[in-house]
Amino acid sequence: METSKSLPTITRITKYTLIDEVQQRSFVVMFVFCALCVFLVRGCYQGNYMVNGQILDAGTIVRTLSKATFHVIGAGVMVIAALLSMRIFRRDRNEGMQACILSKPIARWQYVMGKILGLWVLSTLFMLILHSIVFLITSINLQVFMPEYLVASLLCSINLLFVVIAVLLLSLMMSDIIAFLCILGVGIVGFVADGIAAASQSQIGQAIVQQSVGQPQSELTWWKVVYVLWPKLLGVQQLASSLIESESSHGFRPIYPLINVLVYCLILGALLFKRFRNEDIV
Amino acid sequence: MIELKNVTKRYESLTAVDDVSFTVKPGECFALLGPNGAGKTTIVKMLLDFTRPTSGSLSLSGIPSTLAECRQSVGYLAENHHVPPFLSGWHYLLRCAELLDMNRSEAADHCRRIVELIGMQGRENTKVSTYSKGMVQRFGLGAALMGNPKLLILDEPTSGLDPIGIREIRQLLESLKDQGMTIFLNSHLLSEVEKICDTAAIINRGKLLVKDTISSIVKDGETLEDVFVRLVKG
Repeated sequence: METSKSLPTITRITKYTLIDEVQQRSFVVMFVFCALCVFLVRGCYQGNYMVNGQILDAGTIVRTLSKATFHVIGAGVMVIAALLSMRIFRRDRNEGMQACILSKPIARWQYVMGKILGLWVLSTLFMLILHSIVFLITSINLQVFMPEYLVASLLCSINLLFVVIAVLLLSLMMSDIIAFLCILGVGIVGFVADGIAAASQSQIGQAIVQQSVGQPQSELTWWKVVYVLWPKLLGVQQLASSLIESESSHGFRPIYPLINVLVYCLILGALLFKRFRNEDIV
Repeated sequence: MIELKNVTKRYESLTAVDDVSFTVKPGECFALLGPNGAGKTTIVKMLLDFTRPTSGSLSLSGIPSTLAECRQSVGYLAENHHVPPFLSGWHYLLRCAELLDMNRSEAADHCRRIVELIGMQGRENTKVSTYSKGMVQRFGLGAALMGNPKLLILDEPTSGLDPIGIREIRQLLESLKDQGMTIFLNSHLLSEVEKICDTAAIINRGKLLVKDTISSIVKDGETLEDVFVRLVKG
């Protein structure tokens, strides 16, 4: 089917996915709850913070707190994207929309593409709105403008695409909740491994390694390979948050995490299309 | 219009459809009959590419059923039709129209005609969650009629309808047949099939027992029900 003919169909399915999700009560509750939690962060900006006996200036407080909030929102919305994605095929099946759409001259890949885009756009908007609340708090209350905060938010949406595709694929192979837990596990393992790696790169960490092993190890081990190939979700968040840092600090981190997650998106996306092509529609 | 060539569908050790071949000509009103579990719905699902045959091939209007283009002018009503409960009947029909590439105003015009045709004027703007099973079935039939299809595939269209509803659906199908629409009907209501359809096929345990015109299948002094029971019980 020609791409020019496919595009309006995919756009319509994307639109219906968005509308259907927004009409769910659970989605509205989740959104209001998250927005209220982000509003509560407002109070944190007004305190006096002291590090090593020195009071931090307002700019440092704003940037540090905003970065911390950025990571919390990024991770939180990934969980929400997984929750939204895990039930999408089942709900469409139960409510008859899958049969309704696929009995029309619509190819399966168009349906799956519409679902992926719908969920991705929705979760990206969800995250962007939450990040915009932080942006508005800092802009209006503290007169600190950080447009790069919103750019970083958009960059972080690559993680959401990974989560959406991975959960959709797994939900075809196992129960919804197991699919959700698997991706949650992938995220947690990645975050912990990146945390350990970051700690081992620090001066204290290097000193501990040298004391216990004698010399720093440089040979390639299986767990190092697994670590390098593991989905770099935290890496993408760190890459995005590096945009928020002040000009004097270090610039863009290496873009390997971004390439890693994009490659995962492509591989899992191909598997998802292949799997759904052979799926029985009930 | 519809062609099945040596179609077999196996689910592990179970053979749901066993080497079935038949054709349905344009303008024909065809009934696929069989007891529960005979493989009727599996054949419908293979026609719509909801499931793939283990062997053999199916085509609609000469186009293989695996290609989306073959469903260009096909309307389908599923057995136990479901509609998202948070939508209104109107919005559901509007969605079906838009999925057929109609623009908003064209879709709205078409939906108005469909609502009238299925006799749901005045109820189209209430949520589907408030509808009875029969009303959902009517909207399902309306969705199947969207875009003036040339082929209508109906899986138990009168399921959940009261006798008046069944009669109305029969009258509607008769008028569609008169307009030259090809109708593929899966039904248990043999008396209705006898009134509407020109040809029928009876399958049992996945095997095609007979496929002919109703007048040839039903001999003098018999009803379609008698023939059905005789063939199925062996």
